[in-house]
Amino acid sequence: MKNVIEVKHLTKSYKSNKAVDDLSLTVKEGEILGLLGPNGSGKTTTMNCILSLLKYDNGVINIFGKEMKPDAYDIKAKIGVVFQDVAVFDELTVYGNIDYFCGLYIEDKTTRAQYVEDALKLVGLEDNKGQYPKQLSGGLLRRLNIACGIAHKPSLIFLDEPTVAVDPQSRNNILEGIKKLRDNGATIIYTTHYMEEVEILCDRVIILDHGKIIASGTNDELKSLAKIEEKVTIEVPDLAPEKLAGFDKIKNVSEVEYDNGVLKIVYGKGKNNLADMVEYLKANKINYNKIFAERPTLNDVFLELTGKELRD
Amino acid sequence: MFWHSYKYALKTLLKNRMLVFWTLVFPFLLAMMFHLAFSRLHDYDVFEPFNVAVVKDEAYENEKVFSEAFKSLSEGDNKLFNIEYTDKDDAEKKLEDGEIEGYVYVVDGKKKVKIKENGTNQTVLTMTTEQISQSAKMIDDIAMREVAKNAGREVDVAAIYRNAVKTVTEAEPNIKDESHVMNIVSVEFYTLIAMACMQGAMLSCEMMNRCMPNITNRGKRVAIAPTRKGVIVASNLLAGYTLLFAAVMALIFFTRFVLGVEYGDNIPFICLLAAVGGLTATMMGMFLSVILKTRESAKNIIIVIVTMVGSLFAGMFGVTKMFFDELAPGVNKVSPVGLITDGLYSLYYYDDMTRFYINVISLVIISLLFFIFSIRSLRRQRYDSI
Repeated sequence: MKNVIEVKHLTKSYKSNKAVDDLSLTVKEGEILGLLGPNGSGKTTTMNCILSLLKYDNGVINIFGKEMKPDAYDIKAKIGVVFQDVAVFDELTVYGNIDYFCGLYIEDKTTRAQYVEDALKLVGLEDNKGQYPKQLSGGLLRRLNIACGIAHKPSLIFLDEPTVAVDPQSRNNILEGIKKLRDNGATIIYTTHYMEEVEILCDRVIILDHGKIIASGTNDELKSLAKIEEKVTIEVPDLAPEKLAGFDKIKNVSEVEYDNGVLKIVYGKGKNNLADMVEYLKANKINYNKIFAERPTLNDVFLELTGKELRD
Repeated sequence: MFWHSYKYALKTLLKNRMLVFWTLVFPFLLAMMFHLAFSRLHDYDVFEPFNVAVVKDEAYENEKVFSEAFKSLSEGDNKLFNIEYTDKDDAEKKLEDGEIEGYVYVVDGKKKVKIKENGTNQTVLTMTTEQISQSAKMIDDIAMREVAKNAGREVDVAAIYRNAVKTVTEAEPNIKDESHVMNIVSVEFYTLIAMACMQGAMLSCEMMNRCMPNITNRGKRVAIAPTRKGVIVASNLLAGYTLLFAAVMALIFFTRFVLGVEYGDNIPFICLLAAVGGLTATMMGMFLSVILKTRESAKNIIIVIVTMVGSLFAGMFGVTKMFFDELAPGVNKVSPVGLITDGLYSLYYYDDMTRFYINVISLVIISLLFFIFSIRSLRRQRYDSI
């Protein structure tokens, strides 16, 4: 697969603060690349520099094999952007908003009308097309924001935190829509600080902190960076202190935490840890309500690499 | 692409209640208020002469044309004033005691009016003094030109002055007849038209903000679209200007045909000046929007302040234009609102159209300068932060 985006040594500072620090990345055709990082990590600034919306201090940015510049209209014609903040006209209906923004790319009225209908269908706003933005809920407004960004059927799409402050139903709808866009052949850059979304959607992930890439790879590759194999959570209403001490001695256990009736055990390595734990609880006559195991998350990776949580 | 952008820009403007109010509704409301306030002037039965004082000193005596013209206003059946000649201290005392509505005096050749409060009589006194002063200056100018033309020859200066007085008085409506009082009202509506034109600055600022990624999120969307910035900016500005032009024309025809304001034969010229003035205001809004590196709301406040200060200097808020012309000469010669009002005044004060066209041309030049500086700035614009 060829590279759609190539960024080399991108640096962008706001006075003395380096928002993007010597960042290099590539995005391959047809993939969903997740840019993951806490607020202020440089995700949006990177995106705005790639789009030539912002001046940058240093670096080279190529899109579709050509240098990206503010007047690179041939490149811009193939790009769709969904900004973090909703960018629509309150005075236009849902249909009018999509038609207006789509019309900046598509001149032919018949084609545009079809594209607008397709966009409405993709985000599930067919029944709302005569409504004005103020009449929409937060989730529906976000969907409109997405439709305005992708109605012209771009082959490269930037999505900047499109699900912030969205209800679960709309979030699912949005995520499904993004998958459809990928299935239709679009290359997608997805910035977010929601690791769950990245895990569901992205083929490859770049983790940013303080404007630098601190890790990149597939979900599994990144998770292998965490020194955790598995986390087991057990609801134990009453656990005597002498029994708690025993958990530290179990094979492969690297960390034990008991708080508010919930016991959290972290395994550094090993297989069948959950089954072994059930056996242990039975053997030591420890009563429990629920027990479940989970694989390490990207938050664990971030914690491992930076010493802080993604949402700190 | 241009017409697509233009169509939607116009549509969004027409649905923006705030902009429609300030551009369309507010000038109409003011027009109706003016109409109610000045309706007494239409009724000659209730228009009674009122008491004014004139400070009769050497300076006043030296202004022969002015003093003669002023004197004529206190004579005959249709007199405007009951004039009492006195000294300044006495005039001041009479004004304080409420015996007179105001007094007129001359300092260094400049004619001044002092009033205590604002009202219809005070407006008539101020406007009339301004008009006589302008007319006196014209008479002097005409006479001086005649004297210069006959340089080296023996001339009858008194005869030249008599001819000049005749020329000016024949060209202008008689100060005491009905049309004059009607024109005092018309002048107030001229200022209203000028103010309505200046709404163009607010409209174009709003339209420019839509195109700027550092100001609005919609600007970001526009900036990443494969449409040339010039096309988007031009279509948005044209939409703003379309609304403004329609609003100002509607105001002119509303005041003329619904409120019955007498513009005489000047309507085509008023429309021309309003069209050019609206264009200048539009370009000014564009210029300010481009050069001001601040938030949308702050830009709007700055534009309102610039427009209001210009309007104040142009004589819109009770203080006469003449006062500010003396206080800060030159401001009204470069301020768009000053040029618009001066152009409209000139239709009334001068029979000759030279001054009117000078104002029109000045507005065109200022529009071009605003446009050139804005485009140069826009072309270079890339953003450090958005």
